Amino acid sequence: MHTKRMDPLHRTDPIYALAFIIPTLLVIGFIAFWPLGQTFYNSLFKSSLMYPQNRIFVGFSNYGKLFQDSRFLNDLWNTIRFSLWSVGIETLMGILIALMLNREFKFRGLVRAAVLIPWAIPTVVSSQMWRWMYNDNYGIINTFLLSLHVIKNPVVWLGFPATAMPAIISVDIWKTTPFMILLILAGLQMIPKELYEAARIDGANAWQRFWSITFPMIRPTIGIALIFRTLDAMRVFDIVYVMTKGAANTETISVYNQWTLFTKGFISPFFGYGSAMSVTIFLIISIFAIFYVKTMKIRLD
Amino acid sequence: MKRSIFLVIAIVAVLVFSSFASTIVMTAGAVGREYQVLQQQIKVFEQQNPGIKVVLMPMPNSSTDRYNLYVTYLSAGMPQPDILMLDVIWPPAFANFLVNLNPYFSKSDLKDFFQGAVKADTYNGKLVAAPWFIDAGLLYYRKDLLQKYGFKPPKTWAELIREAQVISQKEGIKGFVWQGAAYEGLTCDFMEYVHSYGGAILNEKGQVVSDSPMVKKALQTMVDMVYKYKISPVGVTTYMEEETRHIFQNGDAVFMRNWPYAWPLLNSKGSKVAGKVGVEPLPEGTGFPGVHHSATLGGWQLGINKNSEHVADAVKLIKFLLSPEQEAYKAINAGQNPSRLSVYKNPAVIKANPFYQSLWPVFANAEPRPKSPIYAQISEILYDNVNEALTKQLTVDQAVGKMTSQLKNLLGQ
Repeated sequence: MHTKRMDPLHRTDPIYALAFIIPTLLVIGFIAFWPLGQTFYNSLFKSSLMYPQNRIFVGFSNYGKLFQDSRFLNDLWNTIRFSLWSVGIETLMGILIALMLNREFKFRGLVRAAVLIPWAIPTVVSSQMWRWMYNDNYGIINTFLLSLHVIKNPVVWLGFPATAMPAIISVDIWKTTPFMILLILAGLQMIPKELYEAARIDGANAWQRFWSITFPMIRPTIGIALIFRTLDAMRVFDIVYVMTKGAANTETISVYNQWTLFTKGFISPFFGYGSAMSVTIFLIISIFAIFYVKTMKIRLD
Repeated sequence: MKRSIFLVIAIVAVLVFSSFASTIVMTAGAVGREYQVLQQQIKVFEQQNPGIKVVLMPMPNSSTDRYNLYVTYLSAGMPQPDILMLDVIWPPAFANFLVNLNPYFSKSDLKDFFQGAVKADTYNGKLVAAPWFIDAGLLYYRKDLLQKYGFKPPKTWAELIREAQVISQKEGIKGFVWQGAAYEGLTCDFMEYVHSYGGAILNEKGQVVSDSPMVKKALQTMVDMVYKYKISPVGVTTYMEEETRHIFQNGDAVFMRNWPYAWPLLNSKGSKVAGKVGVEPLPEGTGFPGVHHSATLGGWQLGINKNSEHVADAVKLIKFLLSPEQEAYKAINAGQNPSRLSVYKNPAVIKANPFYQSLWPVFANAEPRPKSPIYAQISEILYDNVNEALTKQLTVDQAVGKMTSQLKNLLGQ
C-alpha cells in the first residue's frame, strides 16, 4: 500500500477532486448553511421584523428564556408525544404491510402502487379533507360510527384535547405509513433468497427466520426510515396548522415558532426569540438524528 | 421562417402590451359570493381603464391566515400585492407599510363614510386605508319556526336560550350556532357578549379591566349555551363563519350569529331556508347596569402597499370600488354592507337587503375592538382563553383570571 507515493499521473487528483467538489459545496453552503447561520445570528438579538434598525444585541439570553417559557415546554412535549406515537405505529405497520407486499400474489403491482396514494396527496389537501371527515355534523366518521351505534352523539374530534391529538396522529399515520412501506419493501428485496433456503434446511421456523434473517437484514433500512420520519415528525407543522391551528392542546413547537416569528415578531421585539426557537428545534432534531445513527449502527458513508 | 415571424410578433405584442398596461395585483377574499362579484367589478374597471390590468389574488378564509401572509409580503418589501384588503383591526399594525391616502381623499369625501371605520383606518394622523365594506354581528333566525311556536325574536340572551331550547328539542335540530374556534372570529363573538352585559376588556385609557363580574357572566353564558342548556352543539368550539352558515342554510339550526354576507346566500336558489330567515340585532344581557345590544364592528379596508410601483393606478381602482354605484352593486350581489352612508338610501340596495333600513342602528353603533398595533396578540389571548373555557380545559373563573393576567403582562400594566 503505497498510496502516499505520488506518481505524476495521480499527483493532480486532489486538485481535480477539489475543483469538482467546490460548486457542490458552494450550493449546499448557500441553501443550507447560510440561512442557518443567518437564523443563528438573528437569535442573538432582540428585534422585530418591522423595525430591524432598533435591534439590541442580547447574546444567548433568548435561549435561556426559551426554557423558562411554559408554552414552549408544553409544545415540546406535544411534539415528542406526536412523534413517538406516529413514528412508532408507522414503523410497525410499515414492517407488517411490507412483509405482506413482499409475497407473491395476484395484482401485487397494482396493490403496491395503490398503497402509495395517501403519501402522494399534498399534506395540506389531505389535512383539509380529514378536517371535513372529522366534522361533527356532516363528517363521514361520525355518520359511520353513529350508524353502527358505536357512539350515541357525534364526537367533536378536533375540539378537545382527549381526541384532537389522537385524531391528528391518525392522519399522520395514514399519510406516511406508505413511505415506511416503500423503504422497508426495498430493504426486503435486497435479502438473498438463499439465506431463507439455508435456514429452512436447518429447520428454522417462520418466527426464527424473521428474527435471525429478515430483521437483521432490514435493520439499517429501518434505521434510515426512522431518521427521516422522526425528523419530519419533530418539525410537523402543516397537519396541525390546517386541522386545529394548535387549539385543544395540539400546538407543536413549529406552530408556536410560526406564531412567534410572524404575528408576534412582526411588531413586537420577538423575532430574535423566534429565531432562537428555530435554532433550538434544529438542535433537538440533530440530537435525535445522532442518537439513531449511533444506536442503529448505521454507516452513512 | 414562419416560426420566427410568429416569434417576432409575439415578442412585439408582449412589449407593446407591457409598455401600455400596468398590472395591479390586489388581494381578495372568497367568503360567500364576494370573489365572483369582485371579478365582475374588475371587468367593468378594465373596460373603463384600458391601460390597467388587474390581477386578483384570492386569500384564505381565516383572517388570521391573511394576516400572516401580509406579514410575509410586507416585511419582505415586495412591490406586490399593490392593493391589500385589510381587516378593520390591522391598520395600526401595518401603518408603516402603507401609502398615506390623505392626499387622495378630501375631508368632504370622507364625510360620506362610516366614521367608526374611518377612525379605525387613521393611525398617527395618516389615513392608511379606506373603508370598503362594513360588517357587524347579526342574529339570523328562522322566521317560520319562531312563528310556528308563537315566539317573538329574542331581545335578551335568556329569551334566546328559552326559545332555542323549545324549538330545537321539538324540531330535532340545533338551537344556536356561532363562531367558537380559536381564531379572530371568536374574539368578535366574545366581545359582543362582554359588551352586551355592560363589560369591557380595555377601558378608554387602555387599561385592562377584564376581571369583572360582567365579563365572567358573558363567558358563563357562552359556556352554558353548550353544556347547560345544550342549545349550541359542542362542535361550535371548532366552527368558523362558513361552518355555521352551512348548518343554518341546511335548515339544521334555529339561530345563527353571523355577518351580513350570509343574507344573499341564505336566500339564494338551492338554499333550504330561502325566504324563511329573519335578521335582528344580537340579544342583550340582563342583570347589570349598562346592558345593551352590541355588535362587533368588522369590515374590510383597502390600503396600498408602500413599495407599489403603480400607486396612481391603485388609487384609481380603490376610488372606483368605493364609488356609490360599485358599493351598491356589491351590496346587492354580495351582501356586503356599503361603507358609504349615502348608499343606504339607494332603493335598489334596500330592496335587496331590507334589514339595512331596520337594522341601521346596529351598523351605526357597531363597537370596535381594541385599537392597537399589537392587536393580534391581544386577540390571541382572548380567543385562546375563551376557547379553553368552551372546551372545559379551564373554568370560567380560571379563563378570565388567566386572560387578565396575560393581558396585563402583554401591555406592561
